[in-house]
Amino acid sequence: MKPAQRWACAVLCSFAVGMAQARTPVFELEIRDHLFIPEEIVIPANTKVKLVVINHDVTPEEFESYELNREKVILGGSKANIFIGPLAPGVYPFFGEFNPRTAQGRVVVE
Amino acid sequence: MRSGNSPRGLMLAVFAALPTAVLADGSVVDKVYHPYVEQLEWELEWRAVQEHNPPAGEAQRQATHRVGLGRAVSEFLFAEAYLVGREGSDSGFTIDAWELEALWQLSEQGEFLLDYGLLFELEKYRHEEIWEYSTTLLLERELGRFSATANVGVIYEWGDDIEDEFETAAALQARYRHSPLLEPALELYLGEDTRALGPMLLGMARLGSRQALRWEAGVVWGLDATTADYTLRAVLEYEF
Repeated sequence: MKPAQRWACAVLCSFAVGMAQARTPVFELEIRDHLFIPEEIVIPANTKVKLVVINHDVTPEEFESYELNREKVILGGSKANIFIGPLAPGVYPFFGEFNPRTAQGRVVVE
Repeated sequence: MRSGNSPRGLMLAVFAALPTAVLADGSVVDKVYHPYVEQLEWELEWRAVQEHNPPAGEAQRQATHRVGLGRAVSEFLFAEAYLVGREGSDSGFTIDAWELEALWQLSEQGEFLLDYGLLFELEKYRHEEIWEYSTTLLLERELGRFSATANVGVIYEWGDDIEDEFETAAALQARYRHSPLLEPALELYLGEDTRALGPMLLGMARLGSRQALRWEAGVVWGLDATTADYTLRAVLEYEF
């Protein structure tokens, strides 16, 4: 592939990724007092979604789920984006590794 | 740093350099890196690679051990320092090199078709004037419960005690996420003197809040006459 073709390919890929991102549904999840709010998030099956996790606590928390294959630390007073899916219908639990007794939740895929 | 275009631009730059390099000599069996950083994490690591009947060496068995301490210095950057020790069946154990490493996560996991990262490594032998620097592109794709990972690296060796040269190396891993404790995987390593393929077992045990022990163990068999008959590989990582 010639350099010009490489760059053209890269630019086209960027546009394609940008368009795909524009269609990605966004869901919001809050952390307050070491709890995930809401505890349950319902997302569509076979669709990639963006989870915006906002940590209102002053301490950090980690969104963790083996079932979702995600681990992400969210510092106190900040937010993070977590991309999940496309997923088959089912229930995918997640928890906060810093406060696993209280910070529990699940993603329900329908 | 997090723009959609930067990972692809860097990937093109790395691949553009590949045709000018030769494949890495010596064994390139080591560890398959994943393009992710866990913020606030510290890591104490031991890993070992033991080659049996390597064609290039006189010893029947050669082992390389690395002990490292690493820390996530930001949301997307992890740095680690190692001491490297080597021993052979006819020589004792000596710590003969140090190594610095930085892993840069370039995209959010699952954001794009592939997850991207870059690994930078610098190694210096203690008693010889040998330096080695490498840049490795890390790619990963999740396919249901399977994860496919590729490491493609460009290495430059230089110093008074070694011939200056560029080399390349590649490692591929297909992993099935069966359970946290047990994930079977298949790994392929490619270098100038390495064609090796074999099974691995990976796993992670949680030891408490923000503490975990990760492990990897397996064997890869040489696929040609220039590769050791078989190579044992093991990793223990204490994360805290």
